[in-house]
Amino acid sequence: MEHTATYLGLIPLFPLIGAVVIGLLHMLTCKNNPLPEKLYGALACIGPLLSFFLAVVVFVHLKGMPAEQRFLVHNVFTWFAVGDLHIDMGFLADPLSSLMLLFVTFIGSLIHIYSIGYMAKDQNFGKFFSYMNLFLGSMLILVLGSGPVVMFVGWEGVGLCSYLLISFWSEDTNNVLAGNKAFIVNRIGDLGFVLGMSYLFWAIGAGGFDYLSLKANAPTISPAIGIAVCLLLFVGACGKSAQIPLYVWLPDAMAGPTPVSALIHAATMVTAGVYMVARFSFLYSEFPVAGSVVAWVGILTALLSAIFGMFQKDIKKILAYSTVSQLGYMFAGVGVAAYSAGIFHVFTHAFFKALLFLGAGSVIYALHHEQDIWKMGGLKEKLPTTYKTMLIGALALAGFPLFSGFFSKDEILFSALATGHTGIWMIGVFVAGMTAYYTFRMIFLVFHGKPRVQKTFDHAHEPPAVMTIPLIILAVGAALAGVLNLPGIFGGKLIVSHWLAPSLIEHHPHMGIGAEVLAMIASVVAVVIGIYIAFKKFGQGAEEPEFKGFAKFGYYKFYVDEIYNAVFVQPYKGFGSVISRFIEPNVTDSHVRFSSWLYRKAGTAFKVFQVGYVRVYAIYMVIGLSLMSLFLSQSIN
Amino acid sequence: MIQDYLILSVILFSLGILGVFSRRNVFAVFMSIELMLNAANLAFLAFSRLHESMDGHVLAMMVMAVAAAEAALALAVVILLHKHKGKLDTNVFSVLKG
Amino acid sequence: MFDYALSFMIFLPILAGLALLLLPIQKEGARIAGFIVSVAVLFLGIELFIGFAGTGAMEYVEKRPWIESLGISYSLGVDGISLLVLMAGSILFPMVFTLFAPRSKGYYANLLIAQGAMAGAILSTDLVLFYIFWEIMLLPIFFMIGLYGGPNRLPATIKITIYTIAGSLLMLAALVYVGVSYHNQFGQWSFDIVQLSQLNLSGGFAVLAFLMFMVAFAIKIPLFPFHTWLPDAYTEAPSATTFVLSAIMAKIGVYGVIRFVVPVFEVEFARFALALSLAGVVGMMYCGLAAIAQKDMKRMLAFSSASHMGIIALGVFCMNVQALTGALFQIAAHATSTGVLFLFLGLMEERMQTRNIEDLGGIAYRAPIFATFFAIAMLASVGLPGTSGFIGEFLIILGAIKFSGFIGFLAGTSLIIGVCYMLWMFQRVFFEKSNSRTEEFQDFKLSEALTFLPVILLILGMGIFPQPFLKRIEPTALLQIAQLTNPPHHQLADKTVLNSDQHNQKN
Repeated sequence: MEHTATYLGLIPLFPLIGAVVIGLLHMLTCKNNPLPEKLYGALACIGPLLSFFLAVVVFVHLKGMPAEQRFLVHNVFTWFAVGDLHIDMGFLADPLSSLMLLFVTFIGSLIHIYSIGYMAKDQNFGKFFSYMNLFLGSMLILVLGSGPVVMFVGWEGVGLCSYLLISFWSEDTNNVLAGNKAFIVNRIGDLGFVLGMSYLFWAIGAGGFDYLSLKANAPTISPAIGIAVCLLLFVGACGKSAQIPLYVWLPDAMAGPTPVSALIHAATMVTAGVYMVARFSFLYSEFPVAGSVVAWVGILTALLSAIFGMFQKDIKKILAYSTVSQLGYMFAGVGVAAYSAGIFHVFTHAFFKALLFLGAGSVIYALHHEQDIWKMGGLKEKLPTTYKTMLIGALALAGFPLFSGFFSKDEILFSALATGHTGIWMIGVFVAGMTAYYTFRMIFLVFHGKPRVQKTFDHAHEPPAVMTIPLIILAVGAALAGVLNLPGIFGGKLIVSHWLAPSLIEHHPHMGIGAEVLAMIASVVAVVIGIYIAFKKFGQGAEEPEFKGFAKFGYYKFYVDEIYNAVFVQPYKGFGSVISRFIEPNVTDSHVRFSSWLYRKAGTAFKVFQVGYVRVYAIYMVIGLSLMSLFLSQSIN
Repeated sequence: MIQDYLILSVILFSLGILGVFSRRNVFAVFMSIELMLNAANLAFLAFSRLHESMDGHVLAMMVMAVAAAEAALALAVVILLHKHKGKLDTNVFSVLKG
Repeated sequence: MFDYALSFMIFLPILAGLALLLLPIQKEGARIAGFIVSVAVLFLGIELFIGFAGTGAMEYVEKRPWIESLGISYSLGVDGISLLVLMAGSILFPMVFTLFAPRSKGYYANLLIAQGAMAGAILSTDLVLFYIFWEIMLLPIFFMIGLYGGPNRLPATIKITIYTIAGSLLMLAALVYVGVSYHNQFGQWSFDIVQLSQLNLSGGFAVLAFLMFMVAFAIKIPLFPFHTWLPDAYTEAPSATTFVLSAIMAKIGVYGVIRFVVPVFEVEFARFALALSLAGVVGMMYCGLAAIAQKDMKRMLAFSSASHMGIIALGVFCMNVQALTGALFQIAAHATSTGVLFLFLGLMEERMQTRNIEDLGGIAYRAPIFATFFAIAMLASVGLPGTSGFIGEFLIILGAIKFSGFIGFLAGTSLIIGVCYMLWMFQRVFFEKSNSRTEEFQDFKLSEALTFLPVILLILGMGIFPQPFLKRIEPTALLQIAQLTNPPHHQLADKTVLNSDQHNQKN
């Protein structure tokens, strides 16, 4: 019992040690005698695999405990304590975090293995794995943290790694700019997080600032503060999980290596916001108003990014927008208080989106870094494994019946309908159709039809086994993960929802079988229509169209980036220059300049007395002496 | 009786001051200063007589010694000034004008 | 000898500095001598830190009468407020002697005198003694910038000197007022801070004296809008001097507020806290915005340093224990992060003869160790969790939220503002393509790496295990806050009792 709890500290520690060791080795040897890639690869995979192993141990241990007592807490040391504030460097494993733990370590390990192939012959091979391990360690701290502050450590840590990995090929300015954008936008979210935490602390934190104590004290919070905390925390979630209005960094983040996009910007880090909202379910469930805001922002983000996704031509950008869109679904889920549905979508999404990204990675790898889908085509013969696995991923993403995405997405949509958020449900179904459309647009353009650029097509070849095996494993997961949470009408028992129940505060709405079936049929119809339109337009091979009207507007993402640039970035920089060039010397420094001016003026004023003739000075002396004598004689009398 | 001496001393002193104020020739200024010193000496002696003490005499001798030393220095300065500008007009020497 | 540890920390460097000036020593010898002295001080400092009990009261007290007729004594002591400031100084000082090409022995002598004077200002518990060290502190700075600075050093020197002296004279006047008030209230002279804290000041003159003290400290910190000497002085000073200015001298300004202004002027402090905290955050934002427009890397870091000082000052003005402890912790954290960045910059300048951001690029590839160290210090300065910068910043923001939600929000924007200019600079200097200048950039030599390693470890250590530091600060901070929130009204109460007694008798 005690024993297993102490493992919790080790789970993030292993990858962190890996990061330090690899980082030091790389730092010291990269210039003169680089170490072999095999060494780095092996070192890099040890940490994640050990963490995965321990995650399984912890999971099994939790499973053996009675459902209501399923939590393990391990406080490694007192991190800092000032006044009422007492923060332990503590880790908490409960059903929610253990589920996250399992798939983060599992998918993380797979992507590490995949990266050995993908990053081969890169000059900074070691650095890459150091960052990847650091990321995994931070992500595990985020997941396991026993309170918001420890979570924030991981939260910022993953942001840092995201920055470092997006700008990994840092000689290209665009990559660095994308990294900067990610970090800064994330920091805007973090501001919300920090403020939310602070208000939460002053409201109910004095009795302990970890989730268990907060949960116990949550009912005493006043509504105004509670709603403010929920919304501020959600700002943090918006930053990390790319929701309106802070979603802009995620598509640009695709500048990083593809395994990074798969691990950080699809499977794990970006879902941290959803995880956080679910963690604070004790707060959000108290204030449905805040939840509705979350849900509406989520579903609108889903809609907006689905529109963008339909018009992109970079394979990774399409996947990026689909990620944003799916994240929107997850927030819609947790927003309507269907936390387990949201988390389950996080879980299935991790599989199929990691799969799609890694598949896209092997396409890019095979085509020597070609990412434009209008320059691909017919690849299903050349890359059969990639094609088959990606097709599974696409079906799961589109929410095709019986694939994992179908169950998780449907659970969310049904919950929205059942809790009376009909608008969210309608948009959700519509977006499901759009998702199916753009996913299959991508599949058809990449793998079907005739090759569009013969030269790259001829050189294409299936990547090595170290890359395809993770694809196959993930494909199995993407196809079958839905079984874990099979709803009642399919004869299932909602295993995941029941597993998560002790961590969350939620009510499972019921609407009767009829409504459930009807809702399901609606979304299936939307998906089928989406795939059908995609097949009609692109299934037989199509030529790159001119983007006109709305399509052009969509391709340029409604010019949101340009608007942000004009409204925030440029004024910010301009304000900086104005301060530095004008305000600083002329306004702020004015009191100094004024006093020096005053001294100079006073000097000029007294100059008239300095005539330079000794006689006149003698007169001054006599006048002065006379006045002094007069004064003295007066005062004596 | 003491008043007479003092009045004479004041007259001499005032003449000296007027001389310093109004004369432009360096020698004239210098002589006016000497006049003032002697006015002071006169006052010292008068008071010495009045109080029947020798302190005033001591001070008067002191002033005379100082005046002699000063004259030696001042004359050297005057010579240098004349070498510098070729004139003994004090208005020429106004480099300290602000 | 341990009874006199504090005096040693003050006078060993000062005497060594004077000896250097008098003895015929070559510059290399002066440098080694300076290094040895500063290491000796460091060992004393570590001894102190370990032996520090953290009771909240003064420890290692030395007290003997000095000018008895005015109640001025030579009294020294350490408590939670001064401990980390002192430690930051003693840990970082040895580095400035080992890095950089040797300069003339006068330079090292000045550095030593500065070290001693700063220790004196930090350790004094007598207001007059503090004032004397406070003034001595400026002298070596004046010489170091004026003699060894950059091309535009003279205007910068004149500006910093006149600016700070103007502040000091205001403080002197206020100090006399405080002393006289004490004499009037208690019938005896004293400038001891513990006794002065019994003072009960009110009325227009108290406000005036408070403002005069605040202006003096605000100039040194520097607090917006009294920071305008800083960009020029920091930019023109030699890197080691900039480091001393930013890492230690600026901190003494904050320290002075906590040590001398808060206990004496509780009422006025509470009354002006909102305005002062506003000055803190506005300064943070203002300097942070100005930083992004700089082309000179040193000037950028100068503004960044001023921006951080705004946040630290805010922590003092929020009047709760979290913010105050955070500010005191951040003092040390800032010294190890932003301060050290100035040293890195000095090395870059020495290697490449330029610090213009536009001329640099791609250093991360040429010098991975340098880039890693720089990045860690930079991340600490933007407050990344796991580094020393986070703890202080978080505590300050947390405290600021309690003090006022609006100010807390503005303070929080430092999370964003800091990252903007730092990343922008990091991109231009360390990423992107290298050019002919940076192509030949040499990575750290072993000796340099070893010099910086302790600081880098300290940055991480203070971020991961801050509790040993915090638990030494917290008791004193709690006492201060308690005093501030319940000012000692007992004398006032006594007087009213007395008055009412008289009243009764008359009746």
